[in-house]
Amino acid sequence: MVFVKAQKSKAYFKRYQVKFKRRRQGKTDYRARIRMINQDKNKYNTPKFRFVVRFTNKDIIAQICSASIAGDHVLASAYAHELPGYGLEVGLTNYAAAYCTGLLLGRRVLKKLELDEEYEGNVEATGEDYSVEPADSRRPFRALLDVGLLKTTTGNRVFGALKGALDAGVDIPHSEKRFAGFSKDNKQLDAEVHRKYIYGGHVAAYMNSLLEDEPEKYQTHFSEYIKRGIEADNIEEMYKKVHAAIRANPVQKKVEKPAPKEHKRFNLKKLTYEERKAKLIERLNALNAAAGNDDDVEDEEDDE
Amino acid sequence: MPAGHGLRSRTRDTFSRPFRKKGPTHLSTYLRTYKIGDYVDVKVNGSIHKGMPHKFYHGRTGRVWNVTKRAVGVEVNKQVSNRIIRKRIHVRIEHVQQSRCHEEVMLRIKKNDQLKADAKVHGKIISTKRQPEGPKPGFMVGGATLKTVTPIPYDVVNDLKGGY
Repeated sequence: MVFVKAQKSKAYFKRYQVKFKRRRQGKTDYRARIRMINQDKNKYNTPKFRFVVRFTNKDIIAQICSASIAGDHVLASAYAHELPGYGLEVGLTNYAAAYCTGLLLGRRVLKKLELDEEYEGNVEATGEDYSVEPADSRRPFRALLDVGLLKTTTGNRVFGALKGALDAGVDIPHSEKRFAGFSKDNKQLDAEVHRKYIYGGHVAAYMNSLLEDEPEKYQTHFSEYIKRGIEADNIEEMYKKVHAAIRANPVQKKVEKPAPKEHKRFNLKKLTYEERKAKLIERLNALNAAAGNDDDVEDEEDDE
Repeated sequence: MPAGHGLRSRTRDTFSRPFRKKGPTHLSTYLRTYKIGDYVDVKVNGSIHKGMPHKFYHGRTGRVWNVTKRAVGVEVNKQVSNRIIRKRIHVRIEHVQQSRCHEEVMLRIKKNDQLKADAKVHGKIISTKRQPEGPKPGFMVGGATLKTVTPIPYDVVNDLKGGY
């Protein structure tokens, strides 16, 4: 077998078609995006809102976005790193925190649109499937869940955030099939199990089991909890307080950033036509001068 | 085998996607809105198989007469023997672009309305009609030197030397 050097020839690069930028970065599924964003043409400019939930390693990002040609416009957003302001300092990326973030975003958006009085949503989180009922005057705020590139398995935290927004009073078409606590055998949602997850019951259970079996691991794993004196029994109370705090004041705190003194530039500024001509003249003069010097040197040599 | 005349016959090149533009279509195609009365160009996107117009309409421009969920109805002129028929077709969004044929007219309408409103305020009478380009005005030619050219007298001797 002949060993051929693997080469990407010039022809390969000439013919190569790059995928869309966000596809190259592996961040956007365009097939799903086209279908989500597509608004009925006979609805003209009516925006179609997406309830976007994304998880990073240490944070949860929830946004209500609508698409436009210039770029998506975010109506309201909520982050898990805002939850310490509402009394939740640890476990910012678990199912319960996702619920809190979804709840925060839902209440925030409703407050912004002045729908929060009409649509209280489900004040007491029971884990049961709750859908908003349309009130008399204005229809509920409708959004579509955008999971991004997640695998939508039963019990995924993204559905925790979805439940939070639903209980806040946002109308999001959904099915209870993917909530934590749905059993495939019974084909039913066990509201008790779901409620446990919403109030961090699964975390509490793990804390208890670690305390019994591996107390050293408990010390390292839940060190932040221990530092704040949070024990398995107080967890549900804590989340109840957080929910109440969120419902009391969902408004986003505006952080005042001082305007930077000078505008930072990350790329070179484009030159104007005059500047480019001037540059060229400078270069030619410099070349001529250098050539002149060389000529002089040569002439001197010739003379000598 | 004889040549077929199917729906998409002879569309190998016109329906193919341009070089290095294959794959998913960009989102702005789906975000544009069309109102009844807009002028649109019909340009087939070969990667979207639904709602494709017949190859005749590729490159035609018409007005929107209907807007449905995923498509627009376009009224296009088609010459059939000795007359032109106004044909109404429904085409999916992906095969339609906003036409710029009417853009100049719309801009002129806006500008003229503005001019008329301004003139009304000042009480002046203006004409917003377009005037065709007239003949160029006269001008003085500068830096010209006069060179008088006179014919040279006929020289028999030199002339016969060449030919003959």
